[in-house]
Amino acid sequence: MSWLIPSALGLAGAAIVVAIAIHFIARSRPVAEPFPTARFIPRRPIQARTRSLALSDVLLLLLRAAALALIGIAVAGPMFARTGRARRVFVVDRSRAVANLDEARDSVRRLAGAADKLVVFDSSAERDASLAPLDTMHLSSARGSLSTAIAAAVRTGVVESAKVDSVELVLVSPLVREEIDDATARIRASWPGRIRIVPVRSASSDTTPLRADFGANRNDAVVAGLSLMKASTNGGSVRLIRGGVVASDSVWARGAGHVLLHWPASDTSAVWPKRETIDAIGAVTTGGATLVARFPRLWVMNGHAIARWADGEPAAVEHRIGDGCIRDIGILFDAASDVTLRASFREFALPFFAPCGGVADFAPLDASLHAMLAGAGVLAPATALIDRTAESSRWSTWLLVFAALLLTGELALRRAAARGQAA
Amino acid sequence: MADTSYGALLDAVRGVHWQARHAVANAAPGSHRSTQRGTSAEFTEYRLYRQGDDPRRLDWRLLARSDRAYIRLATDRAQLPTTIVLDASQSMLFPVATRDKWRLAQEIAIGLAAVVHSDGDPVGVVVHETSQRIRMLPPRTRRGVVTEIARVVGDVEPGGDAPLAAIVSGVRTPRVAIITDLLGDADALLRAARVHGVANGEVHLVHVVAREEIEPPRRAILAADPEAPVVQRLLAEQTRAGYDRAFADWRAEMARAWRASGATYLEVVTGEPAAHAVRRIVEQVGELR
Repeated sequence: MSWLIPSALGLAGAAIVVAIAIHFIARSRPVAEPFPTARFIPRRPIQARTRSLALSDVLLLLLRAAALALIGIAVAGPMFARTGRARRVFVVDRSRAVANLDEARDSVRRLAGAADKLVVFDSSAERDASLAPLDTMHLSSARGSLSTAIAAAVRTGVVESAKVDSVELVLVSPLVREEIDDATARIRASWPGRIRIVPVRSASSDTTPLRADFGANRNDAVVAGLSLMKASTNGGSVRLIRGGVVASDSVWARGAGHVLLHWPASDTSAVWPKRETIDAIGAVTTGGATLVARFPRLWVMNGHAIARWADGEPAAVEHRIGDGCIRDIGILFDAASDVTLRASFREFALPFFAPCGGVADFAPLDASLHAMLAGAGVLAPATALIDRTAESSRWSTWLLVFAALLLTGELALRRAAARGQAA
Repeated sequence: MADTSYGALLDAVRGVHWQARHAVANAAPGSHRSTQRGTSAEFTEYRLYRQGDDPRRLDWRLLARSDRAYIRLATDRAQLPTTIVLDASQSMLFPVATRDKWRLAQEIAIGLAAVVHSDGDPVGVVVHETSQRIRMLPPRTRRGVVTEIARVVGDVEPGGDAPLAAIVSGVRTPRVAIITDLLGDADALLRAARVHGVANGEVHLVHVVAREEIEPPRRAILAADPEAPVVQRLLAEQTRAGYDRAFADWRAEMARAWRASGATYLEVVTGEPAAHAVRRIVEQVGELR
């Protein structure tokens, strides 16, 4: 048995102690009794300290103590946990870091039971009440996020904790370095038990040279600058669009590993929402490179930011589409400017040519991070997972009703005692 | 009813006589010494015949032997009508559970009535139930008067706070026995008793006190005067000594004042047998004569 608010028990105990103390030291007005020679009693305030306990007082004390105890227990919220049952939550990685998704499927099938739950993740996570999506899931080109995965698993565990007494988290992932971020350790700490890690093989990093298709307009300032990166090859996996994006471009972007750079040459080349106030700003940055110049800001960029203006507002964003992605770059250059010809521009533009989701880093986690993720101890107990703030005890109502009955009895007993003394 | 309920009491006071404190100025022959000299068989003295004396009272034998005319004097005996005034105020109904004060007062009244009746004196009773209702049985000597008194006294349910002084003032019998707890109109009652004493009457006060009034319970109580409910005092550890002292002083003052007025005063505490109290009342008169 556990309690939703254990401190309420302490408060109830303190209240009972106070009630007992009051019964011993309370100053009360005695009941008037006929006494013919009352006139000879010196005048004093009609308050007496009564220390002796009559039988009715004991009954009253017992009733009051019982009522206080019941109220305390009702507020504390007793919870009777289910015993003897455990459930697994499988967290399956389908990100680009996974070499073979069938390997993950087999691992899950070998361990899973009928009632176990599934969480599939890449950069986002999908929770499912059954293992059915295991067969239909496919490999994603997105970077995996263990933080997202564990957070989703915790939510699934909270739901399951109401039905079982412990939950086991099974993480099926290659556990590569790119899936870890600064929040991972803290989110991992929110899971109150060990994590069973089932490793699968990681994909190999793509080491092929950069291949990009910049189009034929060599007079374009951006194309000219990018051409200096010596990566321009027709038919590459990166395509630069300086005008409007057409359907064929979107279809191409869905291809595996395709990156479509939509970098409009003018304000008419994009249909993105315009800023309320069009202004200019002095710098824009991607990753570790910053380009300093005067740039007009025309659009509000929504999506996963890959470049930011000097004030933090996104200047370029990435959208996933199919197995590829489209990168919208809202940075305009004056056609007569030589900014794009500088070395700093090439360094600045380099992240735009990275694979969808950024540069892949499939190096395995070191031992300390692995140990941090696995943790130690027992399975996560349901009592530690349960969402106490949203939970209520089904016993509380009945306990409060019984306490109300006791208090009614206490009132009746008190009145009967008063009537008896008056008679 | 008196024979059955009060049989033991009547048996206990049988043979007890209640003498008058002074010679009685009453013509009706009785057992008490009269202020009048008469012709009874109980010879007292000779006195020289004076003109106007009744010649029938001359001692003819002495006249024949000594040729001197003497009148033979004898002490007359007279009756002493007695009224018993019984306080039936609310304060007499204490303790509420046992009614000890009222029960003792009833028994003393009946015991005194029996003693008076056995002396051949007329005896009556006045009980004031409330200010509107007074039960009275005029002094009588006939048989069964004690039973009648017992019936009257037994039918009374104490209550109210009617004054006793007015009743005592209206009593015409030379002897009055007042049975009360003095918690009503004590001062007015004392004045009425003085007036009665000045008129050659004799007043006997029986002060009935409950044991619980002298030794109140140890627990704290809120004492309420049954005749004046607004008077509510706390009788607890801290006020107990003051109460004991004030109550004892008041009782002593009552005894002194009543005795100073010429009345007899006797304090009777509940728990004392009524017959014993009756004997003490009667014997007290003998000590004072």
